Amino acid sequence: MRSYKYQPVLHLLFALFFVLQSQSAFSQETDTLTVHKLKSLSLKELMNIEVTSVSKYPEKLKEVASAIQVISREDIRNSGVKTLPEALRLASNLQVAQVNASQWAISSRGFNNVLANKLLVLVDGRTVYTPLYAGVYWDAQNFILEDIDRIEVISGPGGTLWGANAVNGVINIITRNSKDTKGLFAEAAVGSNLPGLASLRYGGQLNSKISYRVYGTGFKSGSTFLTSGSKAGDDWQMGQGGFRMDWIASGRDKVSLQGNLYDGAPNPDAGDTSVTAKGENLVARWNHSASDKSGFQLQAYYDHRLRDFGNGFTEDLKTYDLDWQNRNELHMHRITYGANLRLMEHNVTNLQLFAFLPAHKTLYLYSAFLQDEIELLKERLNLTLGAKLEHNSYTGFEFQPNGRLAWMPAKNNTIWAAVSRAMRTPSRIDRDFYLLITPDLSLISGNDSLRSEELVAYELGWRSGSFKNVSISLSAFYNVYDNIRSAEPGTPPLGIPITFGNGVKGNTRGIELALNTQPASWWYLKGGYTYLYKNLRVREGSKDLNGGSAESNDPQHQLVIQSNIKLPQHLEFGTVIRYIGNLPKPYVSEYVGLDARIGWKIYRSVELNLVAQNLLDKRHTEFIPSSPSAREIPRSIYGKITCYF
Amino acid sequence: MIHPDIKILLLVLGLFSSGFQTNADREAKIKAAFLFNFTQFVQWPEDALSNQQEPLVIGVLGENPFGDYLKDIVAGEKVNGHPLVINYYRNAPEINTCHILFINLHESGELREVFAHLKSKGILTVGDGDNFIKAGGMVRFFKRDNKIRMEINAHITKAAGLIVSSKLLQVADVVSNKK
Repeated sequence: MRSYKYQPVLHLLFALFFVLQSQSAFSQETDTLTVHKLKSLSLKELMNIEVTSVSKYPEKLKEVASAIQVISREDIRNSGVKTLPEALRLASNLQVAQVNASQWAISSRGFNNVLANKLLVLVDGRTVYTPLYAGVYWDAQNFILEDIDRIEVISGPGGTLWGANAVNGVINIITRNSKDTKGLFAEAAVGSNLPGLASLRYGGQLNSKISYRVYGTGFKSGSTFLTSGSKAGDDWQMGQGGFRMDWIASGRDKVSLQGNLYDGAPNPDAGDTSVTAKGENLVARWNHSASDKSGFQLQAYYDHRLRDFGNGFTEDLKTYDLDWQNRNELHMHRITYGANLRLMEHNVTNLQLFAFLPAHKTLYLYSAFLQDEIELLKERLNLTLGAKLEHNSYTGFEFQPNGRLAWMPAKNNTIWAAVSRAMRTPSRIDRDFYLLITPDLSLISGNDSLRSEELVAYELGWRSGSFKNVSISLSAFYNVYDNIRSAEPGTPPLGIPITFGNGVKGNTRGIELALNTQPASWWYLKGGYTYLYKNLRVREGSKDLNGGSAESNDPQHQLVIQSNIKLPQHLEFGTVIRYIGNLPKPYVSEYVGLDARIGWKIYRSVELNLVAQNLLDKRHTEFIPSSPSAREIPRSIYGKITCYF
Repeated sequence: MIHPDIKILLLVLGLFSSGFQTNADREAKIKAAFLFNFTQFVQWPEDALSNQQEPLVIGVLGENPFGDYLKDIVAGEKVNGHPLVINYYRNAPEINTCHILFINLHESGELREVFAHLKSKGILTVGDGDNFIKAGGMVRFFKRDNKIRMEINAHITKAAGLIVSSKLLQVADVVSNKK
């Protein structure tokens, strides 16, 4: 019976083999860069061709030994998504579930939750998590999607380069250089569940060396539904504006400055007063390349966020961050090292029975890292060794090393293996949170001795860059976790106060497969499948009230297929199909989602879009949080006009 | 049970190592298409293209990175009535009539020598080395965000009597280091 288990794998390999074989014969004729095609392209179209074919892996990551998927600007545009979290659904190595009109649960390699805390998200080098719970407020991460160059989604630990909280994955959102966003761009959309969305951006050149863009965008988003079928009333709106400047200071120096200002009113509880979520941020970056082989990057940012929950509880966070990275190539060594300094002023206004103590806390984070990529055999075998030493205000020093081996048996073919250790350091909710029954009696009480959660990850992967028209990435992982957060009851008979402990351990394993292909010059196809199996248990001595299950609710299987077809008459037809398996606890039924977009370029610079989302069912639930109540995401349709001048 | 798996894996790998369109090829093709495109966005001085029958010459100096691709692209094409011709040169003194020259040399010294030779010939010089503009070249290809971008030295094109269309300047990074 044992060998029977291998059957599906064998079938998959066979299928893969035949797909590739037939592909190679097929693509001889339909090579995307035929003479005929290339000479018919305009200057602007030529500038949009990716150099590394369908693989889309940015240069530096092409041969890096890790599981990375890239959502390109074209993928975003073709899919018809209208927000960042919707765009993240396009990466099959992420678990993405819409909870209500403004809240999302997003994670990688499991542990998904509204308060998911093992994923690091960066926007142009700026970390966007809140130290309140080490997660991301997705309702405050807004963009003109047109200005996003690409989103790199790395599943697996990235602690060595990116630091604590890059435990299960890293999302890197990279906006376009203002050099590439010259001119006027305007978009306006309205639909059945989208009362309105409008954006305006203007980009230009101050002189031959300085380019810039300024933008404003706003939307009002519709409501989700209660399970009873009536509208939940969690509709909300947001406004945002900002700028980016890029300056080529010299042939060796590039400087960029960008800033954003936003004000949103999400209302997940559908209450009389909505939440106020506003903030501003400013990032300055200086890139210096002393030569092809050495250089540094210096980055500083300021980020201020204010969240008024409308019930008296407010959170105010000011982050100051300074980051320095240096790279040097010496013979067979590519050495990267750097240091980071971060100061976070975290200030809350507590309620009488709901409090973070102390209300004001200054969190310091400083770290240094060193990584050496050693070319053991020229263009054949690379060994990467690196480690980060990071100090945080709660647990002191944490050590996050990793080792990666990449073997290139043929050009653009990489087989890699990695072992890494990553830490999830405590956030304020872990250490400083108190929920009281009366002013003298706690139900939940902070735990000063809570430690960091630890992951040791073993990964194995294969990536093929540009085999004709197909690129493949296959990775498998085995993650061993310890000291995962648990809820420990207090002394009997009442069992209070409950405190957070490190009472859960266990392992997860899974496979991530991603494929990109261009079967014909007019057809682009991309897909991915992720399998995830979790085995978490309560440690000896722990009495975790949730039996080890509170931290995550993940599907075992998920599949995403995105297709874009160029039709005659300047028409485009894009579809995204996704299958998300059952969530175990609380149970959410599996579903298949289908989004479709028809784009029509009616004039050189004007495009009409008609997009239908969640076509297959009237409504479905994607995630059930502990609060507020479960919501259903409706089928919806919207129209959008886009103009470029 | 292990053996068949390995066999298939080897087969797949073997397949991969044989049939590649390398990224380098792809990059060269895109650059070739740019060279062809430049013919429409540059105006040469009167004496450089005197009569209608005279061909517009795209040249390659140094090792030819394009294979037959450049020839295939221009085959049968005309720009403002001028037929397009591809010439390959081994050294600068060989160059007589030429309008666009792709220079596949990367030594600063070599490049300066070539530019000294081409001075006042009204040739649009194109290259992709880091030092190309610094050494006195006009258009440099480079990669940004996995796409081909251009740097144009407006000062030098102007000095050579070339008029570069604003459409081309708009999509390029314009630098102007006077030397």
